Amino acid sequence: MSKTFDRFSGILFLAIGALFIVESIRLSQSAYGSDIGPDIFPMYLGIALVLLSIRLVYETFRYQQDQSEKEKLDYKRFAIILGAAILYAGLIETLGYVITTFVFLTVGFQTMQKGKLWLSILIAGVFSIGVYYVFVNVLQGTLPPFPFENMFF
Amino acid sequence: MSTLDFLFQGFATAMQWHNLLFAFFGVLIGTAVGVLPGIGPMSGIALLMPITASITGGLGPEQAATSSIILLAGVYYGAMYGGSTTSILLNTPGESSSVVTTLDGHQMAKNGRAGVALAICAIGSFSAGLIALIGLILLAKPLASIALKFGPAEYTALMLLGLLAVSGLGGKSITKALMMTVFGLLLATIGIDAVSGISRFTYDQPMLYSGLEFLTVAVGLFALGEVFKSILERESNDGEIAKITRIVPTKQDMKDSSIPILRGSVFGFFLGVLPGAGATLASFFSYIMEKKLSKHPEKFGTGTIEGVAGPESANNAAAGGAIVPLLTLGIPGSGATAILMSAFIMFNITPGPLLFEDHPEVAWGLIASMFVGNAILLILNLPLVRIFAKVVETPTKYLIPLIVAFSFFGVYAVQFSVFDLMLLVGCGVAGYFLMKNDFPIAPLVLGLVLGPMIENNFRRALTISNGDFMIFLQKPLSLLFIIIGILWVVTPMLLKLIGKKVVVNDDGL
Repeated sequence: MSKTFDRFSGILFLAIGALFIVESIRLSQSAYGSDIGPDIFPMYLGIALVLLSIRLVYETFRYQQDQSEKEKLDYKRFAIILGAAILYAGLIETLGYVITTFVFLTVGFQTMQKGKLWLSILIAGVFSIGVYYVFVNVLQGTLPPFPFENMFF
Repeated sequence: MSTLDFLFQGFATAMQWHNLLFAFFGVLIGTAVGVLPGIGPMSGIALLMPITASITGGLGPEQAATSSIILLAGVYYGAMYGGSTTSILLNTPGESSSVVTTLDGHQMAKNGRAGVALAICAIGSFSAGLIALIGLILLAKPLASIALKFGPAEYTALMLLGLLAVSGLGGKSITKALMMTVFGLLLATIGIDAVSGISRFTYDQPMLYSGLEFLTVAVGLFALGEVFKSILERESNDGEIAKITRIVPTKQDMKDSSIPILRGSVFGFFLGVLPGAGATLASFFSYIMEKKLSKHPEKFGTGTIEGVAGPESANNAAAGGAIVPLLTLGIPGSGATAILMSAFIMFNITPGPLLFEDHPEVAWGLIASMFVGNAILLILNLPLVRIFAKVVETPTKYLIPLIVAFSFFGVYAVQFSVFDLMLLVGCGVAGYFLMKNDFPIAPLVLGLVLGPMIENNFRRALTISNGDFMIFLQKPLSLLFIIIGILWVVTPMLLKLIGKKVVVNDDGL
């Protein structure tokens, strides 16, 4: 158990709970024909979350000393893939499904483990084109098309 | 019509060729999902939901729902079986419910009996499926007719009980589990309120009007959370894979394991029906039980077949049992059934007491297909065991980015929005950190699914009583549910105080 994380998240959830309480109070008080408006349920939940968060923060003071067994976490790999995923999400509608998926997969494979670039490109290509073709042409679904659609299909 | 007539009709539905195909692919994909590291039954079901929706697009609404749910349920119990394959061959459990299987299963593999262990798992799963089927048939009607008499107060209390039960057993810290439950319920209030039409916590952002999409949150928390975990912690699956030689169990093996299988199945089923208990506890307790009842308890842990047969049947039966409260009461008792429930809702079918009257085809079709699916599992797994063992060797290098791409596809294909993709990534990061610090995810997901229902019933009950909260305590059934719910949370706390060790459901299944 990490004391720091638990204390931090306790305070964060406390703030979230408080936010929900405040925002519930600002909501219109009652629904037509009933005293029980849309504000009641989230407000009680907010109070519950605040109370539980306080309890968690209180518990962290009673934790045993942090066992400082530092794991070696691969933050670099994580940052690259997370960044690539965010770009993937942001660009999917502009550049289309096939291009973004292909680039994301190639980057992802190579970040996980360098080498065998051609195999990475092949798998990324087969997946992105395969999923697009099957989903759009066979199953009649919708995915973002190529940016200059008329040029390709 | 009597229950048996409905059951036969269910079998007629399940035996239609396309439903057989769906059940087949369901268990096949499920087994693969269970075998693959980094992707469990919950992510598997969540990821396949959008695809089943598009495949079944050509069928009528009720048929489409039946077929999709048959496939998704197949994934569910297929994954339960697949998880044990890695336990036996690699000594790394694919799911938390098959942790116990490593104890004797891997020892059997070391003694050169991997094939027999896998075969016993398949036979155990089949028998568990059979027992669960009988249990479902016996319990479904009576439970549904009791539930029909429930008013809003009883329903609120019952759902509260379910949530408390899952939180009480959900992880190492009850405080954290309860926080996750409440947080899930709070997230469910985002969007336009169905009763008053007022938008809540949306800050005039149109994409929030319909609320946070359950599928997105679930895939993010479970699938991407697991993916980020394997990226950060450099998990690899390069352990020694045991060789499979003989598959068919001997007569002596069958004799030794038949009673444990039967015991495990019945016991697992009843534990599965209870909310929050689930497959992990079932397999754990079954192992302890077999050890206690055995004539030679000292052999446990050295590769005895009873130690595999009992727990494996128990966890599969629990998976079947968990479907009972979902179908009859409309209340999921675990993360995986919560996701199955969202699949029902996606097809505009509300699981619950009315399911058996409004959509008997869906309900009984699903029940019958569980039997058919288990039969397919048995036929499929004995010859294909070697191929599934190969799936274990899929390099993480390719697996991890492909799971991300697949989640993106799954979410975008249903939601068509970049906002949901961003939410997906955000939930993935949150999921990793929460899981790592023992904040259980399953209660959050359950809260998110049950949120709207519990709020509606809560408000209806209070409207009936003119805002008087005593209504929840005045109705005898509702009072009973609340008392059981509180006991469920308080008992483990008290036990901990006395210094007893409490068994928890590690990832809430």
